[in-house]
Amino acid sequence: MAISQELLDILACPKCKGDICLNEKKDGLICDKCKLLYEIKDDIPIMLIDEAKPIEK
Amino acid sequence: MKALVTGVAGFVGSHLCEYLIKNGLRVVGIDNFMDYYHRSIKEANITGMRKDQNFEFVEASLLEVDLPGLLDGIDVVFHQSAQAGVRASWGQNFKIYSDNNILATQMLLEACRESPVKKFVYASSSSVYGDTKDLPMRESSLPCPVSPYGVSKLAAEHLCFLYYKNFGIPAVSLRYFTVYGPRQRPDMAFHRFFKWALEDKPLKVYGDGEQSRDFTHVDDIVEANWLALEKALPGEVFNIGGGSRVTLNEVIEIIEKIAGRELKREHQAMQKGDVRHTMADMTKAKEKLGYKPKVSIQDGLKTEYEWIRDLVE
Repeated sequence: MAISQELLDILACPKCKGDICLNEKKDGLICDKCKLLYEIKDDIPIMLIDEAKPIEK
Repeated sequence: MKALVTGVAGFVGSHLCEYLIKNGLRVVGIDNFMDYYHRSIKEANITGMRKDQNFEFVEASLLEVDLPGLLDGIDVVFHQSAQAGVRASWGQNFKIYSDNNILATQMLLEACRESPVKKFVYASSSSVYGDTKDLPMRESSLPCPVSPYGVSKLAAEHLCFLYYKNFGIPAVSLRYFTVYGPRQRPDMAFHRFFKWALEDKPLKVYGDGEQSRDFTHVDDIVEANWLALEKALPGEVFNIGGGSRVTLNEVIEIIEKIAGRELKREHQAMQKGDVRHTMADMTKAKEKLGYKPKVSIQDGLKTEYEWIRDLVE
């Protein structure tokens, strides 16, 4: 079970308040601007800046 | 109707959320699992409702999250989150209280200007009254908190009124009087008493035990929130008590009856910030909300005892 589209629609990056999108594995939300990944654990999006993982590109 | 419940994994927030879902609301819950007590306890509080398709949960801090976005499509906010604890609010800790209790409330109210809601119910506290001798405590009395925690709750309450007055945010404040029942926080007196009783340890009592509180069962608090949603006029403040004032010593006697034996007591010094007595005048809540507490202290304590017994076993 993944998180709903309705929930995704109301979430934004807590750092820049910009758009986020689901990653390919569907286990995290990505902010392209901040290059951060917000993990989804047990279907709970963890929208905390301290818990976010930097994305290497 | 769709609600946002802040502090949804907490003691009151989780009960309220279950009630709202049962009454047909869709709920978005937010909690940042502040480490005031163990995360696993809060996770357990929301386990049941996680399966419900009318419940969505976000782990986030009100201080960081995109609040106008989160409020999109929300009809009512139940702002239950706060840094709890009267005794821990002194010293450098105060920043935690000012951030989470005052600033977070201001940010949420500000976001409501951008994403309007039909009702904003704020969980205030009897601690705003302080150590008054003027009992029962009336909403019209001058609040005079004796703990930094109480100051933070009062400041947020004033913000609710200001945002109503200036921007029409339909905010209502409920002053909860010492809430107890299943899922009560582990630092709260009844929880500790029951745990010690079950572990056959002496009950540590602050002061002589003759301090009294208007103890309020969480089911009554939840009911008051529902009434506030349906009936309360914006800008108002209401006392929400349990309907009877009981001393800590009387509570221990009831606990002894429930446990079926006499319990040892160990008296300790009174703590700074604790008040001697609380008692709610509930005329206003009765007249304007139709609020009437239903759970007696005897029945209510039994519900908490059974919950803690299951936890300990």
